[in-house]
Amino acid sequence: MKTRTWLFIFAAILCVCACAILWPRRTPSLIAGIYVDGNCVDRVDLSRVTEEERRVIETEDGSNTIVIQPGRICVESADCPDQICVMEGWLPECGLPLVCLPHNLLIQLEEAAP
Amino acid sequence: MTTQRLTRNALLTAVSLILFTVEAQIPVPVPIPGVKLGLANIVNVWAVCAIGPRDALSILLCRIVLGAFFVGHLMVLFYSLAGGLLSWCVLLLLRRVTTRRQIWIRGVLAAIAHNLGQIAVAVWVTRSAAVLAYLPFLTLSGMVTGGFTGLCAQYLLSRRLS
Repeated sequence: MKTRTWLFIFAAILCVCACAILWPRRTPSLIAGIYVDGNCVDRVDLSRVTEEERRVIETEDGSNTIVIQPGRICVESADCPDQICVMEGWLPECGLPLVCLPHNLLIQLEEAAP
Repeated sequence: MTTQRLTRNALLTAVSLILFTVEAQIPVPVPIPGVKLGLANIVNVWAVCAIGPRDALSILLCRIVLGAFFVGHLMVLFYSLAGGLLSWCVLLLLRRVTTRRQIWIRGVLAAIAHNLGQIAVAVWVTRSAAVLAYLPFLTLSGMVTGGFTGLCAQYLLSRRLS
């Protein structure tokens, strides 16, 4: 195939990705679910939090210290090798779920339980 | 398998293992899990083109297994295995539709396939579709890093090392 054809394909992929990134995401609610190995270990309603709170999530592979403030949550420190979960910053401000793949920890906003 | 071929494959495995472990020491300044340069992709793209897909696969598998031991985490094995095998399949398919001056295109698509495989494992491991939110970011980074590693492989190929 001609290089030009490939460039069109790449441009298309680029557009799809840009749309997917820029598409406005609505936050379902301010309930943060904390998952370890796919199992929910905790659920926090961030809109009801009044004081800053720290919790240590122990997993088989290490621990993550999370900070819960009124309306937001983040991973403050972790003993994982890549520290990506710490760099991700605050949920919901960063717009993406917080993950620590080395510890298989996932924090995401979810729909209010019925 | 001749001794020469065995030696060559062993050397290439060592090269890609070195690239893999050195890269693992470099902190990634992007807060997105899975984003990396993918330097070992250079060896993969180069090997599929220069010495054939079968030898490339054996180098890839040796590198992935040894690399997981070096990094010291079992999950690394699954992530690299899914990504590596998927990118190898893509390279195999692309052999017919790209010329030797379009090796960088193979690099880009191999990197995207690698990231797709990794996301699939991440979905399986976390048992949540939430990590799919990272897919567009990973695809974009794969296009950039894959273009870079693909170009490296292309320049290597034009030097006729083998």
